[in-house]
Amino acid sequence: MDEVINRSSTIARELKTGSGAEVGMQVLKESQSSGTVGDIYVDDPRMTCRNVNVYYGDKQAIFDIDLDIAKHQVISMIGPSGCGKSTFLRCLNRMNDTIDICKVTGQIKMEGQDIYDGGLDVVPLRASVGMVFQKPNPFPKSIYDNIGYGPRIHGLNDNKDHLDEIVETSLKKAGLWEEVKDRLDHPGTGLSGGQQQRLCIARAIAVSPEVILMDEPCSALDPIATAKIEELIDELRENYTIAIVTHAMQQAARVSQRTAYFHLGKLIEVGETDQIFTAPRHRLTEDYITGRFG
Amino acid sequence: MHTSTLIIVLLGLMSLAYYLGRKRSLNLVSGRVRDLHSLPSYYGLHTALWCGIPAILLLVVWISFEGSVVTSLVVDSLPQETQNLPPERLNLVLNDIRNLATGDIVSTTVDENMQQAADHYAGLQSISNMAMFVVALSLAIMAGYIAHRSISRQQRARNRVEKAVNFFLLSSSTLAIFTTIGIVLSVLFESIRFFQQIPVTDFIFGLEWSPQTAIRLDQVGSSGVFGAIPLFAGTFLITLIAMVVAVPIGLLSAIYMAEYAGRHFRSLAKPVLEVLAGIPTVVYGFFAALTVAPFFRDMGATLGLGVSSESALAAGVVMGIMIIPFVSSLSDDVINAVPQAMRDGSYGLGATRSETIRQVIVPAALPGIVGGVLLAVSRAIGETMIVVMAAGLSANLTANPLEAVTTVTVQIVTLLVGDQEFDSAKTLAAFALALVLFVITLALNMIALHIVRKYREQYE
Repeated sequence: MDEVINRSSTIARELKTGSGAEVGMQVLKESQSSGTVGDIYVDDPRMTCRNVNVYYGDKQAIFDIDLDIAKHQVISMIGPSGCGKSTFLRCLNRMNDTIDICKVTGQIKMEGQDIYDGGLDVVPLRASVGMVFQKPNPFPKSIYDNIGYGPRIHGLNDNKDHLDEIVETSLKKAGLWEEVKDRLDHPGTGLSGGQQQRLCIARAIAVSPEVILMDEPCSALDPIATAKIEELIDELRENYTIAIVTHAMQQAARVSQRTAYFHLGKLIEVGETDQIFTAPRHRLTEDYITGRFG
Repeated sequence: MHTSTLIIVLLGLMSLAYYLGRKRSLNLVSGRVRDLHSLPSYYGLHTALWCGIPAILLLVVWISFEGSVVTSLVVDSLPQETQNLPPERLNLVLNDIRNLATGDIVSTTVDENMQQAADHYAGLQSISNMAMFVVALSLAIMAGYIAHRSISRQQRARNRVEKAVNFFLLSSSTLAIFTTIGIVLSVLFESIRFFQQIPVTDFIFGLEWSPQTAIRLDQVGSSGVFGAIPLFAGTFLITLIAMVVAVPIGLLSAIYMAEYAGRHFRSLAKPVLEVLAGIPTVVYGFFAALTVAPFFRDMGATLGLGVSSESALAAGVVMGIMIIPFVSSLSDDVINAVPQAMRDGSYGLGATRSETIRQVIVPAALPGIVGGVLLAVSRAIGETMIVVMAAGLSANLTANPLEAVTTVTVQIVTLLVGDQEFDSAKTLAAFALALVLFVITLALNMIALHIVRKYREQYE
């Protein structure tokens, strides 16, 4: 905090003297009222979040978060347990709506459309912002029906052939097709943990989302399955925007281009992944990534 | 002296043994509990168990054989001509002797022989009593003493006590099983007696039920036909109606409670729904007979339908209402057991709440719901009070719910109510009916439990 205060007083001084106004603007742009260090803005963002606050009953879980999410990029959200990174992620497709006591304020826009606008239906939103959860949660249905579930709900299955095609391409994109193509009618719950998680990713892809949110997608998986998922995330970046919450810092370093560090419900620092892990600018970020706490 | 006195004395001895055993174990190591194999209380318990259990086992054996031994001694002392009487007559005489000995009413005049026998009986009884007392107490003291002496540092008292506890637990659980077996056997043997008089095929495939057997040959309307089909048809008709009422209402209310209702509404509505389960079936019975049945009859009259005043419909509907909480609470449990992750997965794909319920939650919970419904069916089949009051007695073979039908349970009740001779086909028929009913509900329960268990494993 001290750093921020110091910096803003420097800005004030510089503004007063009129010198270095450009530098001042630059710094001002970086450090908003929320006190986030680093560049929260990107050019041509997929989603923009402004002043996002989340309350569980009387308790505030997220404080004034401003963040842009860029297209065709992986942004990872790291931070100690309970720092609000999952809560923030769940705001992005309004999954928090399913929790009665949860209240979200502020503005989250997707392609200029406020997703918390009262008139907006969550059904198309969740179709365009898919989600993959911590624990693989395939439905107790066949592999085919697991993938077909979303398209059927959204009426994308005009005919059987089309649905077959969706199932096949989704499974191919998720790198699961070769492993399951002969047993599409087997229950999805019979697959291994890693396969189940890839099935869940394929299930999310099947409704052709623009953004995929992943809430610690590898925390229930072994290292080999994790490596496969990470590889997959990297491939998916070409077509989708991905926001991933992770506990493993190496994972964030491996798969993401931008990293956001959360601490006690605040967004402390955001920046290029390389920069965050090699030259963190905020002391808390540095403490966390060097393993001083977490 | 009475047996209960003996048991109280034994319990006293056991607590004394506990105290002494515990004290001795402590004395052995002069208070250093760590040097003992087990905690001192285990040594106490060990001594107490040795003191009590052999004596109690002896008591049980003694009491179960006492009667026959004393009786046979009395019989031996009776005059020769009495001993030669046929068994039933001899039994009567012995009953009189017992009554005379205990001071109850005697059926015949008391002669000298009998008085003598009664005195003999009473004498033997008191000797046996005293002997039992002395033997049991000395056994308790002796066994307790030996156990007390055997206490040593290395004695594995804890293991032995735990073994004894294990045995008690085992015997408690087998008691329930043996009771079930006993019930099945008693029903089975009486049924076999019935089937000796009436062929099994007549019973199972017969289309007419008229259990009144003629006392005189010229009696009218007492054919004594035992075809069980109309009864089972009536039972299934009423069960079907009950299920048509209970399953949709129960299931839908469970879905509402589990998925839609707010916390406030749920906390109010759930207890109220469970009150339904707490209403005694006899209350449902007169509700059906006095309120619902006349209502249906009058409704039928206005619609131009002939509804009998004791219709299958009324009994079935009320039984369905009775079963609603059963279905709804079982379904509520299985719906709540569907992991939140399933819901999240579905919502995350943009499914609405109703799509999630219809396409994910209900299919996932279906096996459990089916199991619950089957349990409810077996409950409905065995239900008695409502149908006794509201379903009627005439055994009609009909599929029309507006007519009066009768059920298996109703017939069992009417066959056994009142003074009955227990060797006529009419009375024995009740056991045969009970046997078939038991087999059906047992099969349903087993299928239901199997399904429910299979469902439980699904998410693990």
